[in-house]
Amino acid sequence: MADEPAHSPTAEPAADLSSLTDEERAILAKVAGIVRKIQFGTVVLVIQDGKVVQIEMAEKFRLR
Amino acid sequence: MSMTDETDLAAPLGLTPPKLSVRDLVSTRRSASGESIVALDRVSFEVQPGEFVCLLGPSGGGKTTLLNILAGLDRPTSGQALLDGRPIQGPGPDRAFLFQEPALFPWLSVAGNVDLALKLIGVPATDRRERVMRWLDNVGLSRSANAHPHELSAGMRQRAALARALACDPDVLLADEPFGALDAPAREILQNELQRMWTQGEPRKTLVLATHNVREAALLADRIIVMSAAPGRLLEELRLHSPRPRHLDDALISRVVSDIHTSLMKEVDKDVARETGG
Repeated sequence: MADEPAHSPTAEPAADLSSLTDEERAILAKVAGIVRKIQFGTVVLVIQDGKVVQIEMAEKFRLR
Repeated sequence: MSMTDETDLAAPLGLTPPKLSVRDLVSTRRSASGESIVALDRVSFEVQPGEFVCLLGPSGGGKTTLLNILAGLDRPTSGQALLDGRPIQGPGPDRAFLFQEPALFPWLSVAGNVDLALKLIGVPATDRRERVMRWLDNVGLSRSANAHPHELSAGMRQRAALARALACDPDVLLADEPFGALDAPAREILQNELQRMWTQGEPRKTLVLATHNVREAALLADRIIVMSAAPGRLLEELRLHSPRPRHLDDALISRVVSDIHTSLMKEVDKDVARETGG
């Protein structure tokens, strides 16, 4: 779709939602929770040995 | 898996009574030529108990004025500065101040400097010795307890000042460019020490640190308040949820540094445009 954000051409197609494990769902739910809460910012997933070990975020507020 | 959970996100949103708050703070002073100079222009924010806040902005943006008002060393022209909901009337033992220069008494030993601070807040002599040595040990200076400030490196002098400030067990530590005069390795070591001591504090101290160093702010703060060049106004605020100790090459930290740097450069460009009439 034309109004979708541009993605890297090398990105793999998204996994089928029904194929996600419980752990993967929990991670996505956490990320969605953060996205719902913040207007501007950055979310970083830290991955070690193929597992998300940490979710970090920075939320930005414009004050004027 | 360690996650940024909902309670963590709720913490800085003002659900607990703030430790410090400033409301519509304005500070003006007269220049030598009699001109009125605005140092702070309607600044408002709150700091939660145990929060680590960095005031980040270019030199001359009013950070020192703001800290001096919070310390009770200076009065605002208008607006309010509150500690635990009460107007700040003057300095007190509930707030310690760490300056860029360590401000140690040169005729006293390192231990003597820490001891004097404890004596002034009324700690009995029997308790002082143990407390002095514990804090000197905490900042890695126990072997220099009897040395005088001139015998120490700049980094060690600042450690002694940090020990003196924290030994008094203040609720709030105010720090004005505390590592600004140190060389890069000493600065890095002290930033890590401060992170460690703050994290281990039970309860954690409320810490407000002014710096013009974007990397320092991103490494240390729970919350970064970005201020403009003079007159000091608040531009933006960043809340960081990232575990400690942090490192400059952490993905979130490097992203935050570049983001703030971009905002500050825009601000500098605006200033230049204003001054050149562009």
